[in-house]
Amino acid sequence: MLTVSHLRKQYSTVLAVDDVSLAVNRGAILGLLGPNGAGKTTTIRMILNIIQPDAGSITFDGKPFEEQTRNLIGYLPEERGLYRKNKLLNAILYFASLKGIERAEAKRRAYDWLKRFDLLTYYERKLEELSKGNQQKVQFIISILHDPQLVILDEPFSGLDPLNQILLKDILMELKQRGKAIIFSTHQMDQAEKLCDAICLINKGRVVLEGGITEVKSRYGKNTVHLEYEGDGNFLPTHPAVKTAHIYENFAELILNSHSKPHEVLRDLSQRLDIRKFETLQPSLNAIFLDLVGGEKKLTEAMEPVK
Amino acid sequence: MMKAFAVAKWEYLEKIKSKAFLISLFLTPTIMVAVSVLPTLLATRADTESKVIGVIDQSGELVQPLSKAIEEKYKLPNGQPNYILRTIAAGSSGDLAVGKVQADSLVITDVIEGYIVIGKSIATDTLVEYRSQNIGDFKVQERFTSTIRDIVVDKKLRSRGFDPTIVKDLTAQIEMKTIKLSKTGKEEESGFEQVFLSAYGFMMMMFFLVVTSGQLLVRSMLEEKSNRVVEVLMSSCSANDLMAGKIMGLSLLGLTQMAFWVVIGVAISIKFAVTLISLPSALLMLAYFILGYLLYAAIFVAAGSPVSTEQEAQQMNGYLMIILVVPIIFAMSVIQNPNSTLAKVLSFIPLLTPSMMAIRIPIQMPGTLEIVGSLAMVAVSALAAIWIAGKIFRTTILMYGKRPNLRDLLTLIRAH
Repeated sequence: MLTVSHLRKQYSTVLAVDDVSLAVNRGAILGLLGPNGAGKTTTIRMILNIIQPDAGSITFDGKPFEEQTRNLIGYLPEERGLYRKNKLLNAILYFASLKGIERAEAKRRAYDWLKRFDLLTYYERKLEELSKGNQQKVQFIISILHDPQLVILDEPFSGLDPLNQILLKDILMELKQRGKAIIFSTHQMDQAEKLCDAICLINKGRVVLEGGITEVKSRYGKNTVHLEYEGDGNFLPTHPAVKTAHIYENFAELILNSHSKPHEVLRDLSQRLDIRKFETLQPSLNAIFLDLVGGEKKLTEAMEPVK
Repeated sequence: MMKAFAVAKWEYLEKIKSKAFLISLFLTPTIMVAVSVLPTLLATRADTESKVIGVIDQSGELVQPLSKAIEEKYKLPNGQPNYILRTIAAGSSGDLAVGKVQADSLVITDVIEGYIVIGKSIATDTLVEYRSQNIGDFKVQERFTSTIRDIVVDKKLRSRGFDPTIVKDLTAQIEMKTIKLSKTGKEEESGFEQVFLSAYGFMMMMFFLVVTSGQLLVRSMLEEKSNRVVEVLMSSCSANDLMAGKIMGLSLLGLTQMAFWVVIGVAISIKFAVTLISLPSALLMLAYFILGYLLYAAIFVAAGSPVSTEQEAQQMNGYLMIILVVPIIFAMSVIQNPNSTLAKVLSFIPLLTPSMMAIRIPIQMPGTLEIVGSLAMVAVSALAAIWIAGKIFRTTILMYGKRPNLRDLLTLIRAH
């Protein structure tokens, strides 16, 4: 559906996006990941044709952007983009009219969606009277009311309670099954891990990691250890066998050096800590993210194969 | 282009329902009437109680005739004299200072409204002093000076052996009646006040129209920006559609407001049977209004799009206000000389054209060449302004925090 290649954008002195390429297919969810200020929003804005790239190309089903393309895209911005003083239904219908949907049709769809999101009682209300979570739901309705082929969602789960998170996740899965291409931008790695088929991790304007979720994780191999213990685990990050460690309360996620052998590490650690659980597995997306972004490691080093 | 209409419809319908618009719709004419008519009405309203005015007459010749004349000439609605004169002695030894001290205390204790001090010789002293707590009552001043002058002139004439009635006859006042002659030779009895009021009124109408709707626009763009609505909008339609829609919506809003005022104006003029303006002039002025309005709307869009805080919006409105106030500064001079070189030059400065023509057309229709030329001038500059505004809008509408300076804007306009 969408192919972005070698995108580049420079703001006076800052190179916001540098040689970014990515692709999303119909029926797939791409996680656009990266820390704050990595260049995600700039990339999205270029896809939306809000700003023009300095170099690179963006095509939709092989065709460049044209006015009609706007009607094929749905966008949910990270910060709420709603009129505060206007009535909920009026605002929804306005945005629908901008996407070229007939008023009567838009009304019917708005009714269905409002019902599904349990917002029907609010349709005459002003948007500022709604709770943050409900505003987020309205924002989501606006982004998909015109049945777009490409949906770009920037932190869609923010402000939603667990129940609504599940509802939103179900709707995303439906959209996926109906063959929509979805870009899901977030810093929430656990959500990305559950939802995405593929990821594209951007840091400082460059793609540092991309590929299918399972492929990316297997690239890292089974060199991750989940450790539950009692005792003082503060020495773990400096342990010779450990490359990176993320220490929580009585829990640690360790990424081992490529030459370290898990059973040797276990033997060593059991002498210093009271180990309750020791598990080797693929790293979580979160660990990969922290490894790539937090540690400022080079890509090649991070993808060093495990012996 | 359909999307531009959708934007225009939204801008128009949502703003016309807004409180700010409704307030400006009714409040502006009310304030205009209040400011221009009320003070005169209040000031010329008749007194309801007699006022006691003291007189220290050092000449001794004026008190009698003055009090007689004043009491005869000025009556309250109930037939009582408006002013009662009370003689105050200038002290036992004829000392003025003592008399003033005494009279001042009467003024301060509200026994008398004020008092008049008349000089020693009516032949040479031309200065009369009025002392009161309230010197803002111009009726007292005007009435007493004119009455005293009449008496003094009368006395002087008699002392030189002239008959005052003959002199009065000889120096009779001439009054002028003004007849406005239109191009077709039709006569209209039209007073100076009427022409002045309509010319000034049309210009002020333009002013308030632009100010209120311009502020609505800047405010709404600020809201769209701070809520990031603009990103959703820009993902749905092009910047040009968005801007064109905003300008259309705003212009429609202005026309609605004007239509409303015109209906009120027509109703008033029918009620008082005065013709403020003929139909062809009105249509011509409408053309200037629309073109001028597009020009101003484009300027407001360009000025409003870089704004990202309330404070900046205030500041921006301040700057725009300055542009709008300029015509008011020149208004007086143009009303007096609608065909002067100054008036003609000002009429060709696009930002001033609509206001200047609003003044000139009701007074005296400018030449055809001038009308065609200035219309073309405003039309071209409105188009240019929209084009430039488009460039500024496209880039700065997504800028937050840092406001571009003039040099940034110039680069923007040159780029692309």
